[in-house]
Amino acid sequence: MTAYTKKEILLQARNVSLTYGDKCILQDINFCIHDIVRPGLQQGQVVSLIGRSGIGKTQLFRLLSGLQKPSQGSITIRERRPVENSNGSIQVYHERMVEPGDMGVIFQNYYQFGWRTVGQSLLLAARQNKALAGKEEDAIGRYTEQFELSGMLQRYPSQLSGGQQQRVSIIQQLLKGSDFLLLDEPFSGLDICVLDKVVELLLQVSLSDELKTLIIVSHDIATAVAISDTVFILGKMTGQEGSTLVREIDLIDRGLAWEKDVRQMKAFTDTIREIKDCL
Amino acid sequence: MIMVLLQVIVTLVLWQSGSGGLIPQPLRIIAAFGHLLTTRLLLDNVLVSLLLTLKALVYSVLATLAFTYLSVIPFFSSLAQFIVKCRYLTLTGLIFIFTLLTKDGSQLKLSLLIFGIVPFFTTSFLSVILHINKQEYELCQTLGYNRWQTLYEVVIVGKADQVFEIVRQNFAIAWMMITMVEGLSMSEGGIGALLIKYNKYNDLTNVLALQGVIFGLGLCFDYLLGTLRKWLFPYTKL
Repeated sequence: MTAYTKKEILLQARNVSLTYGDKCILQDINFCIHDIVRPGLQQGQVVSLIGRSGIGKTQLFRLLSGLQKPSQGSITIRERRPVENSNGSIQVYHERMVEPGDMGVIFQNYYQFGWRTVGQSLLLAARQNKALAGKEEDAIGRYTEQFELSGMLQRYPSQLSGGQQQRVSIIQQLLKGSDFLLLDEPFSGLDICVLDKVVELLLQVSLSDELKTLIIVSHDIATAVAISDTVFILGKMTGQEGSTLVREIDLIDRGLAWEKDVRQMKAFTDTIREIKDCL
Repeated sequence: MIMVLLQVIVTLVLWQSGSGGLIPQPLRIIAAFGHLLTTRLLLDNVLVSLLLTLKALVYSVLATLAFTYLSVIPFFSSLAQFIVKCRYLTLTGLIFIFTLLTKDGSQLKLSLLIFGIVPFFTTSFLSVILHINKQEYELCQTLGYNRWQTLYEVVIVGKADQVFEIVRQNFAIAWMMITMVEGLSMSEGGIGALLIKYNKYNDLTNVLALQGVIFGLGLCFDYLLGTLRKWLFPYTKL
């Protein structure tokens, strides 16, 4: 098995509930995401939240992104900030409540400003990232080349294909510079060739920084398991009105994380079956 | 296009052959238009009217933008709503109040035009703001924009093309009102003043020639503003 250690908690949801009037949508959501450290490797985290349609995945997505406040409970993140001292710049960490803007959010429809060209949108995002001050154009050039979008900077979102729009959304949020990237149904509506590319792309993003954490909300069980190191299953407990996390599956323990041919493994198909039984 | 041209020709031929008596025939109207052109009378008065209309449009747009942008603040929201309701006010009866409030005929015409246009502009623009996709705000939030950055990006920059479209659509209101307000103070001239003068003497030939000019200029401006919008905001034609 691959050597790894789980270090500090990067994100924690404590007793999170969401109600609309009398209707309880989510209740008692508790989970945490740890920094996974692999010796000699820069390894980020990929976590999937799986659940049936209408179970409350999008609501949980909105809570995690900070776009909506939970009715009860809290979602906290571990924030790193560079601090100047006599020895130069050091990183300090502290825990705080998640706020809008903390997470890079990629919506299901890859929403972009229709009045901005790709180049303008990316530049606006890069300007939000203080670490890129003065180097915005270089960063845009690097990312667009890496994501095969170099010739698209003058185009408007409506002139791009769905796959291209998704990549623009990802670059935009990467340029903004948050450690967390939250993706709502990133695999839905993609054909098999594009799907493989997207999976490759997300893995590439997860390897770009030790603290880079991808949270994928999906109902595509196989793809989500193939890409993740941890899976959380959102479902209903008997006697509870709201949805909650019914199972956490550590894919590293099962030898399913970071494996190129994971889909060929027996443990993979067993895990898929196990997840389906939970839904 | 050919069909429209044919329809126009057929209408003019029918009009030419069928009319007589008090209603002037198209050829007489065209002749009157030609005569108006030679006297510079038309050009001078059209320029006066255009200048006044454009001035009123600029002030109206500025006032509209101020009212609508401020309407996101609860204190100004009711004011914006009141302006919207002012569409149902008629200028008749209010003209004397405007005369008292303004110092000369020029100001009176300008203020009446603005008063007439702003409620329609505000109604259209408020509707644009109310129908902004929630995701536009959410994208700004996820990018870490503050409120002012969000307002600038989503409402000011993002809806600039729609403001332009509203101006284009409502230009007709300003252009239609110009003839009415110019009749209130005729000393400065204007196509409205000219029209009223000919109308007073039942000179229907010149009246219809002027109506044709007003109609044609309106269509020209509509086309011009439409073209300008596509040039300024290329994403609108995608």
